[in-house]
Amino acid sequence: MSLLRTEGLRASYGQVDVLLGIDIEVNEGEMVVILGANGAGKTTTMRAVSGTVARGGSVVFDGIEIVSESAEAIVRLGIAHVPQGRGTFADLTVEENLRIGAYIRQDSVDSDIARWFKTFPRLGERKSQKAGSLSGGEQQMLAIARALMSRPRLLLCDEPSLGLAPLITQELFGVLKSLNQEEGLSVLLVEQNANLALKVAHRVYLLETGQVVASGSAESIAGDERIRKAYLGG
Amino acid sequence: MERLLQYVFDGLSFGAIYALLALGLVVVFRGTGHLNFAQGEMAMFCTFIIWQINEWGVPLILAVAIGMLFGFVLGAGTEATVIRSVAKKSPGGVFVVSIALFLGLNSLATMIWDRAEGYTMKSLFPNKDVDFVRILGAEWRYKYIGVLIVALALMGLLFLLFSKTKFGLAMRSVASNPESARLVGVPSGLVLASSWGIAAAMGALSGALVGGINGQLTPSLMFSVFIYASAAATLGGLDSPGGAVIAGLSIGIGEQLVAGYAPGWIGQDLKLSVALILIFVVLLVKPSGLFGSLKVERV
Repeated sequence: MSLLRTEGLRASYGQVDVLLGIDIEVNEGEMVVILGANGAGKTTTMRAVSGTVARGGSVVFDGIEIVSESAEAIVRLGIAHVPQGRGTFADLTVEENLRIGAYIRQDSVDSDIARWFKTFPRLGERKSQKAGSLSGGEQQMLAIARALMSRPRLLLCDEPSLGLAPLITQELFGVLKSLNQEEGLSVLLVEQNANLALKVAHRVYLLETGQVVASGSAESIAGDERIRKAYLGG
Repeated sequence: MERLLQYVFDGLSFGAIYALLALGLVVVFRGTGHLNFAQGEMAMFCTFIIWQINEWGVPLILAVAIGMLFGFVLGAGTEATVIRSVAKKSPGGVFVVSIALFLGLNSLATMIWDRAEGYTMKSLFPNKDVDFVRILGAEWRYKYIGVLIVALALMGLLFLLFSKTKFGLAMRSVASNPESARLVGVPSGLVLASSWGIAAAMGALSGALVGGINGQLTPSLMFSVFIYASAAATLGGLDSPGGAVIAGLSIGIGEQLVAGYAPGWIGQDLKLSVALILIFVVLLVKPSGLFGSLKVERV
């Protein structure tokens, strides 16, 4: 069943149109990856879904039209966005970052915090440190854990591997994969590292200058000679 | 020795008032990165409201509470209407707008409550000639003790709000990263309006305290207070509430010492310049202030 579906999704920064009508879909329990070169509109697609850029067209989440909803409202509906560049609160401690991640919830969040400290032990060790003092990998872990504190049904994750060591990237992807497979969390992922992304994703959309130019199962995309040449380094 | 203690006592009370107003500046600066130059005039206007309500027969303490509420609405309303729309278009414009507010509120107060000699402002605390306690030879007047207690209590409440409540955490998150705050569902508009509201409400209280000490109310009530408060906020670090309090109290004491001990040519007349020179030196030598944070971030 379709959890998220965009139709003719458009977005622009000022006068510059970045998305020229994007149709993508994420089904319940699916992990979907968006590939594409720099400037193709991957990040803007994520921002258009989470409501952090001016957009038009249609975005339906769980049967509700959200294209004119604010970012604050959209997270309440169950979409959490891990932005590019992580967007942690540098002046807040690690634990405060997690607490504010659960801002929309009224119930107790201590057990969730304990859970993410167990998943990411290094965050637990640094829980009283300012987030700004963490390494890039730790900040990315924190950004993901913070997003999950809101208990989303759909996680938008924008280039989690950016600037990280391969080992850390693998650890992060391992966590994302197990969240998806074991807990049925739906994930929409933007990733430059296509080889890695194709290993964990069910389906793929390929973006070029603000449009979807190819889509299909991860296997079919990975097997497509043309796409391999253009995006996967042969 | 008595003299020194006397200056310290008086200085603490004035300093507590500067600290209150400086805290207002810090709350706004942390939230929106703007210096609200109208902070003092907002406080003055609220104090006139308090005086007016009191004049109509409402007990002073209740009038102060109403005045603070009025301040909250004034501050929050200003942010939500003028400041926010200007800030979106040009951050520098906010500076100009707050200067305009400064002048506007001052003229408005002069227009409504026009009387050259001002009005008699009652104190919240006993302030007859005999209302003091003598400690080691120095007189500590009840009205000064009251001011110190009220100011410190409000600061304590504010610290609890910042550090212990979900709303405080939300305020700090908006200050730290507005876009991420929206992504986790914090209604940043509401939070920013509230920080302006809280700052103006604290200003209203500090105005009532200053008016009570002076015993007199004119539209220039907060001029010098605002300059000392700005010096305190700068010295303490514009984003550090604790720094604002410590610097406010120190400046209060310093002001009394300068006025009392320094040679006649500084005295009462030039002590305000000392505060301005202090602002200048701090900005030159240590722009982040004594307790302000330099933004350090690993990438």
